[in-house]
Amino acid sequence: MRIAGTERGAPFTLFVDGEEMAAFAGETIATAMLADGRAAMRRDRSGAPRGLFCNMGTCSECLVTLRGDGGARRVRACLTPAAPGLRVETGPAA
Amino acid sequence: MIDLAIIGGGPAGQAAAEQAAAAGLSVAVFDEQPRPGGQIARQPPAGFTVPDWLAGRAYAEVRAQLARFEGLGGVAWHGGTAVAGLAAGADGFRLTVVTPDGAERVAARRVLVAAGCYDLPVPLPGWTLPGVMSAGAAQAFVKSQRIVPGGRFVLAGTHPLMLVVAAQIVESGGVVAAVMFDQPLGRCVARALADPLTIVRHAGLFVDAAAARRVLARAGVPVRFGRPLAAVEGSEAVAAARFADGSIMACDRVALCYGFVPQADLPRQAGATVRWQAVAGGWATAHDAWMETDRPGLFVAGETTGVGGAAIALCEGRLAGIGIARSLGRLDDAAAAGLARATRRRHARLSGFARMLAAIADPAEVLARVPPADTILCRCEDVTHAEIDAVLATATAPNAVKLATRCGMGVCQGRMCEGALLRRIAAADGTAPGAAGGFTARFPARLVPIDLLCGLDDVSAEAVAD
Repeated sequence: MRIAGTERGAPFTLFVDGEEMAAFAGETIATAMLADGRAAMRRDRSGAPRGLFCNMGTCSECLVTLRGDGGARRVRACLTPAAPGLRVETGPAA
Repeated sequence: MIDLAIIGGGPAGQAAAEQAAAAGLSVAVFDEQPRPGGQIARQPPAGFTVPDWLAGRAYAEVRAQLARFEGLGGVAWHGGTAVAGLAAGADGFRLTVVTPDGAERVAARRVLVAAGCYDLPVPLPGWTLPGVMSAGAAQAFVKSQRIVPGGRFVLAGTHPLMLVVAAQIVESGGVVAAVMFDQPLGRCVARALADPLTIVRHAGLFVDAAAARRVLARAGVPVRFGRPLAAVEGSEAVAAARFADGSIMACDRVALCYGFVPQADLPRQAGATVRWQAVAGGWATAHDAWMETDRPGLFVAGETTGVGGAAIALCEGRLAGIGIARSLGRLDDAAAAGLARATRRRHARLSGFARMLAAIADPAEVLARVPPADTILCRCEDVTHAEIDAVLATATAPNAVKLATRCGMGVCQGRMCEGALLRRIAAADGTAPGAAGGFTARFPARLVPIDLLCGLDDVSAEAVAD
């Protein structure tokens, strides 16, 4: 839930596992996902879903895969800004 | 080569930068967050407007420090930048710094590690379900990104900060099902009353805690004591919290709050002496009266030296900044001592409160409980307690257990599992946690894409060092 009374940056959309998701400039990927009700950010070895734990770059539980034209990169969702058109994946790393 | 590289833009790093800049040093500050503030004053993004941000009296001092820091000339701010490596060289230090776009080396005559702390991880069944997070994580979302990161929270732990986080969630329009202290209220009161003079000296902080409780009472949020969290339940995400008395509380978020441990990767990488922190564990870096470690030229301040809170961090940052200027010949001994005098007195006063808070929040009983065998201890590599215990029958050296099980070999570099493993080792061989050291600290301290590292012209240095 976005807290009322805060003026945010410009709205845009990005994609999580192919689905469109709203975000505002200044938000991290983790923020946009949690505000959208998406707590699972990666899968562990058993295939179980895992989500953000520390929100400060220390634990790397929130690793998501960013899919670009040049390939894929795993980043910490809590530190990485959301950006228009970004393609985020939460499945097993490629 | 710059005079001073500071790792961490929180109160300690800011205060040190202010002192060092005043003495004419060239200063660069590195932090993974885009803006200065640290976790205590984690700022909203530059494009956000937040009315009455951290308006409470508890934040007045760190906000004033932040305003002074942001007004400083001659200090280079490097936000969004991780420091992955720290190595001592012939005439200074070499840092490996990483941004999303690349990695580079930075040379500095002096280095201050003011890297703060993180929430003490406590393994328990279900703690890897999406929706379980540290209380610090939830609080940072409210302070900075301005979301309540869930629908219905249970806060569980031993640390009184839970009251503040719960109140901030409620005041932001979120829902808190309950605040559940592991320890009985009587123990908290007894430990506070053991040092009545400290209560009087720091009465304002108790008033803040009381204000948080009033917010929770008005919202009808129960605050219970003597209610250990036994497990988090759910299949794909958190569905409920289960307590030791068998009661179950429906929720979609559980925020854990058992205390804090220092970020120690970089001092350990550089070979500075660290000591196992009493009570909550973790490695506190040893230092002298000017905050210099036993690696000449490497200084530490704030939670890196042992968790004590933002006010102590401010004092230590000031002392480090003065000490660094002194060590570079910019201040003589008398001038440095004069500048430091009032700060030293204040530090001594504040230390009593930090000790009392640590005694109230003491997680020793929680940490002594052995979770079920299938509970994950190492979150990165999915290593369970049973797998650890099987190896402990034949080997108890931390690095040996790491090699045999992969515990501590993952992307968090052992930050989430080392304490829990060292406590298991201590229980197995009858020693104190940390007595036999911990994992060997390795480059990189933070996740770095390998193609960025390959861009460095002396990339083989890490391979040689390891």
